[in-house]
Amino acid sequence: MEDARMISAWITAGREQTAAGEEGFRRLYEATSRPLWGYLQHASGRPDVADDLLQETYCKYLLRKAPAMNEAESRSYLFRIATNLLHNRVRSRDDAALEEPPERGAQTDEDALLDVRALMRHLKPRERELLWLAYVEGMSHAEIAAATGLGVMSIRILLYRARQKASEFLRPQRIKS
Amino acid sequence: MKPMSCEHESSIIRALHSGEWSGELRRHAAECPDCSQALDLAEALGAAARRAQAGFHAPDPLWILQRSRRRSREIAMRRVTRLLAAMRALAAVYVAAAALWLLRGYTALPYREVASSMHGTSAGFALMGAMAAAVCVAAGLWPILRDRSEAG
Repeated sequence: MEDARMISAWITAGREQTAAGEEGFRRLYEATSRPLWGYLQHASGRPDVADDLLQETYCKYLLRKAPAMNEAESRSYLFRIATNLLHNRVRSRDDAALEEPPERGAQTDEDALLDVRALMRHLKPRERELLWLAYVEGMSHAEIAAATGLGVMSIRILLYRARQKASEFLRPQRIKS
Repeated sequence: MKPMSCEHESSIIRALHSGEWSGELRRHAAECPDCSQALDLAEALGAAARRAQAGFHAPDPLWILQRSRRRSREIAMRRVTRLLAAMRALAAVYVAAAALWLLRGYTALPYREVASSMHGTSAGFALMGAMAAAVCVAAGLWPILRDRSEAG
């Protein structure tokens, strides 16, 4: 029914309304596309997958969005859609090769030591998502819960474990450097 | 070990993003191993995010809008097609049921009386009618069966 409402709104909307909608979408897109792409790129480990999923995220958002959604709600909703698309992609095993953890000894120069991409590959998809949403996007546990569909208590525990794992991965590299 | 973060962690991450640090919070971040670990990680991830996003070229939002509109039209089209398929299936069921009902009505008649009252021309018409009904049923069912086999 939601889709039908959206379709009839798009079909019956006048030119002025459409122009206003386009302008609103353009502003939202400019504010959110960059952080959303960063999230998708680091969570999936592949820029091409991030490009695909970014477009898909906005398409789904436009098809499903509730009419009275403010910018903060839209942002949270976009991250929720992106997270679901990431999970679908992981489940479909299209990018199975990305999930292999890198060899620890392969990092030699300083740039490589500081490369967070190696860390992200070392982590599980859920751990990457949680760390990114918490530490890069600065989301609260409640906001992460809304974006991932997990409970707040689960997020506290999973985030703590993910942080420990990430720090353990980074620590030997820092000692070496 | 209790798998929980320090209660000040989220305040420290917020301060890192906003740049608004209180003296107390800064001292806590330096002293608390949990918070300093979180801060180190947030800084490393933030730097990686900035580096990665610098090379990001966003596709034109109008192109995404057009793509979503195209998809919404496809969804609407699929719905209409589904409705037509349902109507077609309903029609086929109706024809089949009507044919069965007519056949049952015909066989329920006292056979000998009907047979004795029918001469060559009547029997020929009845046979042609039965064949026409069978053709109608088959014509109704054929597209549905073909659609299903293509979809499956």
